[in-house]
This record gives sequence, structure tokens and C-alpha cells, in this order.
Amino acid sequence: MMSRLSDDRSRAAIAASIEKRRVDTRGLLFRTLLQACLLLTLALLAVLIISVVTNSTDQLGTRLGDFLSGTLRSQSGDDRLGVHQGIYGSLWIAVIVAVLAFPVGIGAAVYLEEYAPRNRFTEFVEVNIRNLAGVPSVVYGLLGLALLVKGNLFGLDRLTGGSSTLSAGITLAILALPIVVITAGEAVRAVPVELREGAYGVGATKWEMIRTQVLPYAAPGILTGTLLSMARAVGEAAPLILVGAISGRLGNDPGLLDLSALTDQFTALPIVITTWTVQSGRDVGFTAAAASAIVVLLVFVLLMNSAAIGLRNRFEKKRG
Amino acid sequence: MRNSRRRLGWLPVILVSFSLVAAACGGDDEEASEGLSGAVNISGSSTVEPISIRVAELFEDSAPDISVTVDGPGTGDGFKLFCEGETDISDASRQIKEQEKETCVANGINNIIELKVGVDGIALMTSANNDTVECLTFGQLFDLIGPNGEGTATWAEASPGLPDAALDIFGPGEESGTFDSFVEIVLEDLAEEAGVEATTRTDYIPSGDDNVILQGIQSSDTSLGWVGFAFAINATGVKLLEIDGGNGCVTPTPDTIASNEYPISRDLWIYVNADKAAANNAIVAYLDFYVSEALSAAVRDVGYVPLTEAAHAETAERWHSRTTIS
Repeated sequence: MMSRLSDDRSRAAIAASIEKRRVDTRGLLFRTLLQACLLLTLALLAVLIISVVTNSTDQLGTRLGDFLSGTLRSQSGDDRLGVHQGIYGSLWIAVIVAVLAFPVGIGAAVYLEEYAPRNRFTEFVEVNIRNLAGVPSVVYGLLGLALLVKGNLFGLDRLTGGSSTLSAGITLAILALPIVVITAGEAVRAVPVELREGAYGVGATKWEMIRTQVLPYAAPGILTGTLLSMARAVGEAAPLILVGAISGRLGNDPGLLDLSALTDQFTALPIVITTWTVQSGRDVGFTAAAASAIVVLLVFVLLMNSAAIGLRNRFEKKRG
Repeated sequence: MRNSRRRLGWLPVILVSFSLVAAACGGDDEEASEGLSGAVNISGSSTVEPISIRVAELFEDSAPDISVTVDGPGTGDGFKLFCEGETDISDASRQIKEQEKETCVANGINNIIELKVGVDGIALMTSANNDTVECLTFGQLFDLIGPNGEGTATWAEASPGLPDAALDIFGPGEESGTFDSFVEIVLEDLAEEAGVEATTRTDYIPSGDDNVILQGIQSSDTSLGWVGFAFAINATGVKLLEIDGGNGCVTPTPDTIASNEYPISRDLWIYVNADKAAANNAIVAYLDFYVSEALSAAVRDVGYVPLTEAAHAETAERWHSRTTIS
């Protein structure tokens, strides 16, 4: 090959063109652009977190314990100011979402994926579930108001106690339901055909195949999706306003495990944050209180997400 | 081993389900006895809300078993709940309307006690950078903010004699008691004289959040806006304007508001469902405390102006004699 290239100059030109092609300017530009996108996202997040955390030091830095055990107050300098009632509301809302939305949503997803016949009607149902996932959360708040707080249709207000943690939890469970169905359905669909056929091959019934193959294999995906939807539900404020979350002063301050207070009037962390931000016009100290409540909500959601990751890893290990 | 663990994995879920059902049933029993356990339910004006909360906070040490819940969706929404019998007491930054009274009566709520609890000024403001305006008369305010100002873009265009500078107006929305009070005190009489509807122009920037209004006023050097005095007094970057209601320019201060020298001040009220109070000792105890000396301290604590001694005495008398409105 070398012998055919008699001219030194042409050899140099070819070498240069090869070299030149390696300096891929467009590729570099693209890569830099992508990096800039990532940096921008991270920078926005960093600014948000840093400003919130710096603002929160007034409360969290000096009186963390009191802040976590305190209640809604009219003045930011009050020793008893805190988010305990908000944590109670948000915690039980999360639990109710988990207890109601997860089994129902996962059940519906497994039925749709494994049992439902492929026809127009099923398609119609699936499209509608996808649409429901995009419905603004306020609309779910209206539904909760009519159905659970006022008891318009079935008199459910007698069960929920009207504006209560239970009503809020059920409302947000309904809000999370379509997302749970969609994510769980996708996880079930991702189970390899070989696993199903293998199970049938050794004589498993459909129920045994789903129980021993599909559910264990899909579990990590189902968990991640459902817990993310729970985290979203916990951060919602708009539906809670309609369901009647209290923003000013809440008379009772139940212990975190006091189930009897589930049917009492309630508040939740997103509501506490909104209220204190509004109050900061009258009493500047509420800025710090609102920032601290945001940090508490962030930690709360972070704990939930790490639980999701922990569980997912456990299931994945089992699957492996 | 694997099987048993998998089965156990469902256990917490099942347990929580059971406890939720149990809680739902337990709640029903408790609701029935709520009247005896000493609960007071208050809703209404978000302006008055802090006063009712502060009174409850001062009260709670002497009566820890009485649970007072206060919410602040707005005066109008508060009366809606009050007239449906959902609340015991309604906070209001204006007096009850005839129409609202009729709704109450239609729902069998005939005995309502009206109590004046404090005074709030409405502060007119411009940006701290604006040194061309110091004092405005009611007439000028009517020109600037009233319906005749619709479409005007500068102060001079709206009201001859004022500086020729861009006019950006920020204020509360129509659902707010502060909006109603401003219209009633400043615009109503002048609108009647001019033969126009008593309302504001529609082309200003309304917000339900006082902080947003304040930010708007800060954002433009020749802005004009109004919020409750308690919110205005702590704001930075804004200048409170003197107001001339016919007797010369007056700066809003707690003293000038209490003495009614400052012309744009409004009374803050609470409305009590007398029948509910008669049936619930918790409400009586809370209101006995509300109209006591503690009221002035509470009102001052949250940034409003306390009643004069005579007005306070009248409020206490009205409550103790259970004087209802007709």
C-alpha cells in the first residue's frame, strides 16, 4: 500500500485530511451545548436549594426540635411556631395514597396488561387513563370537595368527617391513581416474553405465571413509578385548598401516630408553606419559617424517594 | 424462607389498611361529641384572621382543652360558610351585606352578634424612588383609580396637575375586603356625584396576595397602589402617601388611624352565631376572653390598631348583653 503512494505530498495531504476530520467541531459544539443544558438545570436547582437553606437557618439552625414539634402561629417569633401539624397531614396523606392508590392502581394495570382483551373498549379505557394523568390537580380537588367533603353523591362525608386528612388523602390517592396505572402497566409490559412462556412451559397456570414471574420481575419498576407519584401527591397544594386545609390556626395538634385525628380538620406542609409566604408581608420573620418548611418538605420527599430506591434495589437483587 | 419473607412483605400494608378502617370508624364517634370537647370554628377575612389567631394563642394557656381553629379564605367566603352554619364565628373586614344577612336568615341563623374588634388603615403607596408625589386628595384618587381613569397612562392624563409620569396601578382584586373598603371610603361618594358606578377602573393589576401588590409597587418608579396598613408598614422600597380627605394631608400612623384623623381607615369585625354560642361553652369562654383587655394587646401584636377605650367598652357590652343585629 505504501509503495503505491509515490508522491510524498499526496501522502501528507491524506494524513492531514484524516487528522482534520478527527477535530470534530460540530460534535464538540453539540456536546458543549448539552453540557450547558445540564449545567443550567443544576445551577437553577442549586440557587433554589442554597437560597432556601440559607433562609431557613434562622429557624432550623437555632430551634430545629421546637420547629418540628411546633404549630401554626400568628407571629414568626413565637417559640411554639412549627410544622408538626403540617407533617402530620402530609405523612398521613402519603400513607393513605400508598394504601389506596397502590393496590388499586397496580391491580388495574395488571388486569389491563394481562387479562383484558385487546379491543376498542380496552383501548378507549387506556387512552382515558392517560388523559386523566394530565388533568390539572385542581380538578381533583373539586372532585374531593363534592364527593368527600360535601358528600354530594354517596354521603361519604360521614365517613371522612368533611374537611379532614382522610378526605385529602383519598383525593390525592385518586389524583395519583392514573399515574400508578400507567407506570405499573409499563413495568408489566417490560417483562420478557420468555419468562411468561417458560412459566407456562413448566405447567404454570396464568395466575401462577403472574405471581411467580410477572410481578416479581416488574416489582422494581412498579415501585419506582408509584413512589414517585406519591412524592408528587405529597407536594400538591391546590387540591388541598379546595378540600379545606386550614391555613390560619389549627386547634388540635395530634401525635404523629394518632389515627383518631384523621377525620379532624387538617393542614399539610405545602399549605403551611403557602400561608407563611403570604404572612411574610405582615411579619418578615415568616420568610425564614416558610423556607424552613420547604426544607422539611424536601427532606420528607427525599426520605420517601430513598425508601423507593432502597426497596427497588432489594427487589432487583431478588430478581437477579 | 423466601416464600415466608415475601408473604411477610405484605403484612405492613394489610396492617395499615386495617388501622385506617379503624380510624375511620373511630372518627365518627368523636365527631358526635365534638360540641362537648370544646371546639371553636372560625373562618372569614384573611385580614382579621391574625387577630382571632392571636387572641386564641393568648387564650390557650388558661384553657388548653378548648381547641380554636381559624381559617382565612376571605370575608365573602367566610360569610357563606357562616350562613350555612359551618362556622361559629366569622371574621370580616367589612360589615355584613343585606344579601348575606338574608342568606343567613333563610338558613335559620337569625341571631347574629356583630362585634368591632380593631381598626386597619388602608395605605396608598408609591415607589420609594418617586419624589414627585407626597400627598393625594380623595378627588385625585378618584381620578387616578376610579372608573373615569380607565385607559389613562400617565398621572397627568388622569388628573391634571399631577406629574407627567407613567401610571402603573397595583391593588387587591374584587374578592378582597380591602378592595371593598377602598371603594366604599374613597370612591363611593365621588362616583355618585359623577354619576358613574362605584368601583375602580378595570385596567389596573389586581392580586389576591399583598406581597405581589407590594412587589409591583416597588418594580415601577411611578407606581401607585394600596394594601392594608399592617402590610404596608413593614414593606421596604415603598413610600406611604399622605392622604387629604378634606382636612389637610395626613400621614398614616397607628395614632392617626386610631383617631380617625387619617381618612382611609376601616373597622374590623367578628360575627358570632349566638345560637351556637348559647349551646357551646367553649365559644362563650373564648369570646369572653376576646372582648377583655387581651384584645388590644392581640391587635397590636399582629400590626393593627386597637379600638379606642369607648369603642372597646361598647364591644364588650354588646357581647355580654348578647345584642344581636336585626
